[in-house]
Order: sequence, then structure tokens, then C-alpha cells
Amino acid sequence: MLDTTHQPPALISESTTERDREFAAAALPLMPNVKRFALSLTRNQPDADDIVQETYLRAHRYWSTFQGSGGDCRKWLLTICRNVFTTNVQREERSVAVEDDELESLAAARTHNAARVAGVDDIYARLDLGPAIRDAIDRLDAAFREVVVLSDVEGFSYEEIAETLAIPMGTVRSRLFRARRQLQEMLMVYALDAGYARARRPRRTLAAAADENG
Amino acid sequence: MRRLWPYLDNKLSDSDKERVTLHLQQCTDCLSHFDYARAFLDAVHATRPAAETDDALRDRVLQALSNHGMSI
Repeated sequence: MLDTTHQPPALISESTTERDREFAAAALPLMPNVKRFALSLTRNQPDADDIVQETYLRAHRYWSTFQGSGGDCRKWLLTICRNVFTTNVQREERSVAVEDDELESLAAARTHNAARVAGVDDIYARLDLGPAIRDAIDRLDAAFREVVVLSDVEGFSYEEIAETLAIPMGTVRSRLFRARRQLQEMLMVYALDAGYARARRPRRTLAAAADENG
Repeated sequence: MRRLWPYLDNKLSDSDKERVTLHLQQCTDCLSHFDYARAFLDAVHATRPAAETDDALRDRVLQALSNHGMSI
């Protein structure tokens, strides 16, 4: 819905070519960012490419509207990208319970304690967890994945995420904190399964005690 | 502890932030939880894949745009 009546005269007289040139200069360099986000949503290349193409078609169509708004082009493109994804894919919108922020912060302490007891609380310093983290992010539910990707990978603020996903700030927070807890738990399991538990400071087990005594 | 994530995300008011900072200077237990959470966040951020230029995709998008009337 373009309302041309309120556009300043300069925009009306501006040639299509000029507008397209501005669109190309502002939007096309951001294609790698759009692709990266699309890939985090679809988790497969062909679907991500389709979404990127549709994102740019829509962005081109509404460029004049955006141009006048003075907004951030990357955020705008990712918003469109996410809209394309949700409207293209019949996505089951899971109802995600809104949890108390503070409870999640407390849960983070418990997660840390569990990691400490298991001897894997220093894995971030000791190991390159990159592949494991990417795998864990892929395994999150879509609603959690998109929030944690925008926040912790892309560096969006809570407000920017709320706008991009059209969800309330409280929902952003609760999904983000829960996603982080799930990731931490998955990484702890990964570290244990991979045998990265620290050998020093072994916990005294009954068997060890028996050995010492025998 | 209740302020852990908002604190690390820099989302607290100045006064709340200062309160947490002061507490962390005195409470090694909380400090260790905060350090652990921060190490986790840094590790996640470090996984940010390079945004790779994809020439095939770029050509495809430009073709689609020109089919839809973009004049370049």
C-alpha cells in the first residue's frame, strides 16, 4: 500500500532508474546477511535461496516506502526475510509458554553448577565448540532458534528482535533465556559424551575409595 | 543472580547495573556464574559464520529483480 500523496516532491520526480540504483547500492551488499539468516531459519540451502530471492523482490517493491522511513536496511531486510519464511512455510506456531526471566537467570546458575560437578565447566576456554554450538542451535525449536540467532549470533537488541519477529519484548526475553539454557545443556551433554570431562580433581567414588583402602 | 541475563545483555537501568556490579565484586559464587554465562555467550557469538558472498545467488536474484522491472 503505497501512499504517494505524502511523498516529498523530490521522490516523485526521481527517476525509477535512480531509485533502483539506490536500492541496489543499499540492499544488494546485505545479501550475505540475508542469506545467513534465511539459512538459520530453513536449515537447507535451496529453501534459503528461494527465501532470499523473494525477500529481494518484496524489498524492491516496497523500497520507496522504506527509503522514506529512515530505518535500518539490514533490520528491514531480515524482517521481510522472516515474513517470507513464515508465510511460505506452513509452520506450526508452537505456543511457547512465557516464563519468568528471573527464573531463567536462576536456572543459569544451576546449569553452571551441574557443569562444574560434571567437570565440564571450563569447556568454553578449553575447546573450540563452534561445530557443536552450530549443531545445537539447529536442534532448537524454530521459535527459540530465530531469537537466539538474532540476539547472540547477529547481535540484535531485544527491541530489534521484537520488531523483526513482531512479538512482545517479554516473549523475546523468555524465549532467548530458555534457548540459552537449552544450548548450555546440550553443550554439556556434548562435552560429556565426547569425553571432555576434566580429569583433575576427581570426585571420590566408592570404587576409588575401595581402591585406596585395599 | 536474578539479573544475570539482562545484566550481560546490558539491559539493566544504570542503578540496577551498578548494584549488580557491586554485588559481583563481593560475591565470588555469583561472579563465577556470570563468567561462565559470559564465556558461553562469547562462544556462541564466535560461531557467527562468515557472511559469504554467493555469486550464483546474487545473479539469480538480480535476474528475478530485472524480470520484475528493476532497471539495472
